[in-house]
Amino acid sequence: MAAFVAPPVGIARLGLDKLGVVVAALLAVGAASPFAVFRANRIVAGEAKFFFAALPALAAALFALAVLGAAAISLFRTSARTRLATAIVFAVALAGLIGVAADHLTPTGDRYARVAPAAGFWALTFAGSILFADSVVRLKLGPLARVLALALGAAAFALALWSGLWNELSILKEYATRADVFWREAGAHLVLAVGSLAAAVVVGLPLGVLMERRRGLRAPALNTLNAIQTIPSIALFGMLIGPLGWVSNHVPGAAALGVHGIGAAPAFLALFLYSLLPMAANTVVGLDNVPRDVVDAARGMGMTSRQQLFSVELPLALPVILTGVRIVLVQNIGLATIAALIGGGGFGVFVFAGLGQTAPDLILLGALPTVLLAFAAAIVLDATVEFVSGARP
Amino acid sequence: MIAIEGLRKVYGVDVAVDEVSMIVEAGALTVIVGASGSGKSTLVRMINRLVEPTSGRVWIDGADTAELPVHELRRRIGYAIQSHGLFPHRTVAQNIATVPTLLGWDRRRIDARVGELLHLFQLDPAIFARRHPHELSGGQQQRVGVARALAAEPKLLLMDEPFGALDPLVRAKAQDDLKAIQRQLSTTIILVTHDMEEAIRLGDRIAVMDRGKLLQYAPPAEILVHPATPFVAALIGVGDRPFRLLSLETVAQAVEPGEAEGAVVAADADLRGVLAELLWSRRAAAPVAGGDGRVIGRVTLARLIDRAGTPT
Repeated sequence: MAAFVAPPVGIARLGLDKLGVVVAALLAVGAASPFAVFRANRIVAGEAKFFFAALPALAAALFALAVLGAAAISLFRTSARTRLATAIVFAVALAGLIGVAADHLTPTGDRYARVAPAAGFWALTFAGSILFADSVVRLKLGPLARVLALALGAAAFALALWSGLWNELSILKEYATRADVFWREAGAHLVLAVGSLAAAVVVGLPLGVLMERRRGLRAPALNTLNAIQTIPSIALFGMLIGPLGWVSNHVPGAAALGVHGIGAAPAFLALFLYSLLPMAANTVVGLDNVPRDVVDAARGMGMTSRQQLFSVELPLALPVILTGVRIVLVQNIGLATIAALIGGGGFGVFVFAGLGQTAPDLILLGALPTVLLAFAAAIVLDATVEFVSGARP
Repeated sequence: MIAIEGLRKVYGVDVAVDEVSMIVEAGALTVIVGASGSGKSTLVRMINRLVEPTSGRVWIDGADTAELPVHELRRRIGYAIQSHGLFPHRTVAQNIATVPTLLGWDRRRIDARVGELLHLFQLDPAIFARRHPHELSGGQQQRVGVARALAAEPKLLLMDEPFGALDPLVRAKAQDDLKAIQRQLSTTIILVTHDMEEAIRLGDRIAVMDRGKLLQYAPPAEILVHPATPFVAALIGVGDRPFRLLSLETVAQAVEPGEAEGAVVAADADLRGVLAELLWSRRAAAPVAGGDGRVIGRVTLARLIDRAGTPT
């Protein structure tokens, strides 16, 4: 009788996980693709190395074990905890093995040889990330736990960097020759992304409040901001060169403040303009979503309109406004890369220099920190939004 | 005492409230009843100036409300609405403390008042003070809404469909509680509803409104017996009229000497309930017990039937 109700025990326990099939397929593709690329110097074409060639025998065996184990665990229906543990172990193994491959492939004492992760490594990383993200979602980790996990991940990453594990990797060799420039551009990148966000909050938030209060203002203001949003970023940078150049030349003191037609000023201004729409629009939507009866009660009890705004409407709109901040920050961290085109600095400097020199390692030195930064910002702000709205229905 | 004098509100070409004048005695519970769009909410919202009148005046205890700063006026008048409008991001205690905080009461006085009100509304402060509104049942939210409206000890309380969102059982309890609290605090209450049953149950006086006009303003019994217009008669529901009339009186008003068989009825029960009880138990009379539980006489079916008709 029970057989009609429950599926046979074997299938229930070893049933296939749908997403796990995708992960396992990616792992297979990754393992069958070159793991690392070896180049005699940083600009010649590389030769692809499969894992058995890229790694010493013992490490290659470990590699096969890690891939097979991760594939098996993701393929079948296993608990979210098991999957998370697997993803973490797999990430650690991958991080270690790419370091080992770099050591193994670099001839002793050769300062020009370059070893970089190849397609297989990235496919495996992608598969591991899917497994990790999926298990985190299934575990329904709270906002604090997610931020804590991010901090632990960042610490582990920093430890790996500091230990010298990856020192033979090409990207770190690129870093080693321009460490001081790297940190200067990192600072410039953050100033551009976070500074323009701060300016957008200072202007966009009151603008949103004003648009919510004055219905007539809403359509024209939102349409204007929307129009700005549609201008391609490079075009907007270009459009700002003229006016800012004029300001720099004609407004006393502007040049001394760093306002020039090219450089950080137009980049900052462009990022700021792009940020205004999400900030103002989310403020309007957040305020609109405050229940009417709550506002009515606040008025009826004798709150002034300022008291209504600050103690009722803005606190209730905060999750939606913070969602706007999240959109803007992640968007700006990515967009700030383009600033390098007009001399605005930031990680884009390495990307464009790398493109110019056809040096993929240098491109990576600019792209990778940008991606990691955007990723970390998204996690922290998502957690903040959830934390802020968590106390409410 | 609240005096409403020629109050009128016009939106474009629509007359929402048309020349309404009425006097509400201090300590009375006045119910304004009407269909949606009758102007009843607009009338009440003009008292605390959530809606500014097109013309006419409202006087509270001799003071013209138009001459008071609007925030001060509203802080002196309690205001409770249908969906309660509790602040979802604040605890029950913080919600109740809203107006006292606006008035700048000191912390100790506010805490004492919040505790007092939670007790009054049968909400244990130890359990409820720190909860958020979404953690309460509908009935509890409604009670917190009324407690919040009463927090600064207003002499006047305006209630706009306060029980509209409650299911029937909880609503009946909330109505009884409101009546009891009103007697205890002797607050003047003006309550808006579309439900004539609720109006008859609660009101010392009922104001019937239709299309912006005040059709009749009288005690419930008078409205039932002498509806001023066919609309008022329709609102009462002619078929229910005898029972609604009975519901206004208690057994004490119909008790007579004599004995009867069966279960006793309480002297403070309403006559409609007793009629139902007699019909259901197929009795012609029931013994009546006073407040101390002793039988003080009986109530007969014949007497009830006599009281259910038009006074002759």
